[in-house]
Amino acid sequence: MQLRLLFILFVAGYLFLLQPFSLYMQQRPVAVKLGYTPHPQILKISAADHNLVVAEAMLLNVLFYYGTLIENFQENIIVRPEYLNMYQTLQAASILDPYNQDNYYFAQAAFTWELGRVEEVNALLKRGAESRTWDPWLPFYIGFNYAYFLKDFQAAAPYMKMAAERSGNPLFTRLAARYFYESENTDLGLLFLNTMIDQAKDKTVKLTYTIRRDALVAIKRIESAAEKFKAEFGVMPETIAVLVAKGYLDEAPVDPYGGEFYFDEAGRTRTTSKLAAPDM
Amino acid sequence: MYRSLFALIASNLRMILRDRILHGVAGVALVMLFLVPAFSSFSMRQMQEVSVTLSLSTNSLMLLVVTLLLATSSIWRDVERRYTSSVLTLPISRVTYLLAKYCSIAIFIALCGIILLVITALVVKISTLQYPSDLPIAWGTIALAIAADVVKCYLLTGVAILLSAVSTSFFLPFFGSLAIYLAGSASQEVFEYVTGQFGKDLSEVSVTLIKGVYYLLPNFSAFNFKVHAVYVLPVTAEALLFPAVYFLTYTSILLGLAIWAFNRRELP
Repeated sequence: MQLRLLFILFVAGYLFLLQPFSLYMQQRPVAVKLGYTPHPQILKISAADHNLVVAEAMLLNVLFYYGTLIENFQENIIVRPEYLNMYQTLQAASILDPYNQDNYYFAQAAFTWELGRVEEVNALLKRGAESRTWDPWLPFYIGFNYAYFLKDFQAAAPYMKMAAERSGNPLFTRLAARYFYESENTDLGLLFLNTMIDQAKDKTVKLTYTIRRDALVAIKRIESAAEKFKAEFGVMPETIAVLVAKGYLDEAPVDPYGGEFYFDEAGRTRTTSKLAAPDM
Repeated sequence: MYRSLFALIASNLRMILRDRILHGVAGVALVMLFLVPAFSSFSMRQMQEVSVTLSLSTNSLMLLVVTLLLATSSIWRDVERRYTSSVLTLPISRVTYLLAKYCSIAIFIALCGIILLVITALVVKISTLQYPSDLPIAWGTIALAIAADVVKCYLLTGVAILLSAVSTSFFLPFFGSLAIYLAGSASQEVFEYVTGQFGKDLSEVSVTLIKGVYYLLPNFSAFNFKVHAVYVLPVTAEALLFPAVYFLTYTSILLGLAIWAFNRRELP
């Protein structure tokens, strides 16, 4: 009888404890929740053949933690996030499983727009792009990050080219060509577009590439004429019309996107269309 | 010899089935059927990949547990129960007894592998119904990954049988096999780490010692095809051939040593 009473007492005690215990577990300090991530090499050695599961578990840990941050933010509770710990966890997960798509997708979503840690994210994405050789989205993210956040079009162009080659997506092709142009690599842009025109099977896609290529050809003609003008007169021409008047161009090249070419303050060839059709 | 070998294998298998280990495997497989699709849904973009990862890891863990339970409690327990005394009085050699032990465990592990393969196929199919992946499901490579895990367990069985043949209790075979499994799974990573940049800071004696241990330990990471199965990576002929030959030679050496030790053992 006494033993029964004791047993019931323990069961009651357990039931009584459940709610405060759960509350305590939920409110543990952030570092305890997210945990400490050991050195990736140690993790890789100790995970044996379960490295993919360990990477997934680490990733889910970060995702759940990030979820609580968003919930707090919506309820106007300001908690200082453990971004460094989160990044280190993602980095370690990428070493354990360099193929995990969720890792890169989350890093791109959470660390670029919100935090501006673009270079760190790109370092992570580059590891992914090396492993996921079929995936066009990782080079696309890298190219986009370079162009949009860092304004480094020269670095962006080859990644966008990689994305276009992997996917055959015309958007990536247009962006790559634009970045080559912005990085004063018109020749490279032309070469890339010609390759994509050769590979395109769809007529509409081929036409899209051709229009972009024609625009770059026109720009290349203006640039070459302007260089010759500068070599002779020592200054850049003020307008395209000057080049036509002096005989460097037979006629003013036409922008296939409907704009008009002009020289900006730095002497670069620009167009009022910004190399985009009105619906793009 | 073959007739007595097959008779012993059948008898051993009956004993294993009587222990209801297969029930345990089937139970875990059923739990896997419900839990893996649920856990996979946490993934943002790769439900299929996560479901294959979880299934293959669970399979690997299950096969490891089964191997350790069966192989580490094989010979020393038979000696302790005096089962060997009665069996070996029959016209059955110690070699036949030991090989029958190994083969019966191997057959049971293969049976578990088949059950887990069927459940994995179901789990992956269920998980991908909602969100199909950009990647196709590599059924062949998934089967290969499970088959490679089974072969890995055969190698571990060889280790456990050897330790069990020289031991008089549970501790050496169990903890010895577990330690060798953990060390053998990590040895490739350690070897690559030591022979890389990190090794330059280590003394030559340490590097030589680590390399020696690496060559001595069974290399279990050669049987890991999980990444190939999850992310549909191509498997080269070398990746199949080398582990297969490695398994055959290493396991033969282990069984040879086990037979040599067991032949010299004094039985009650």
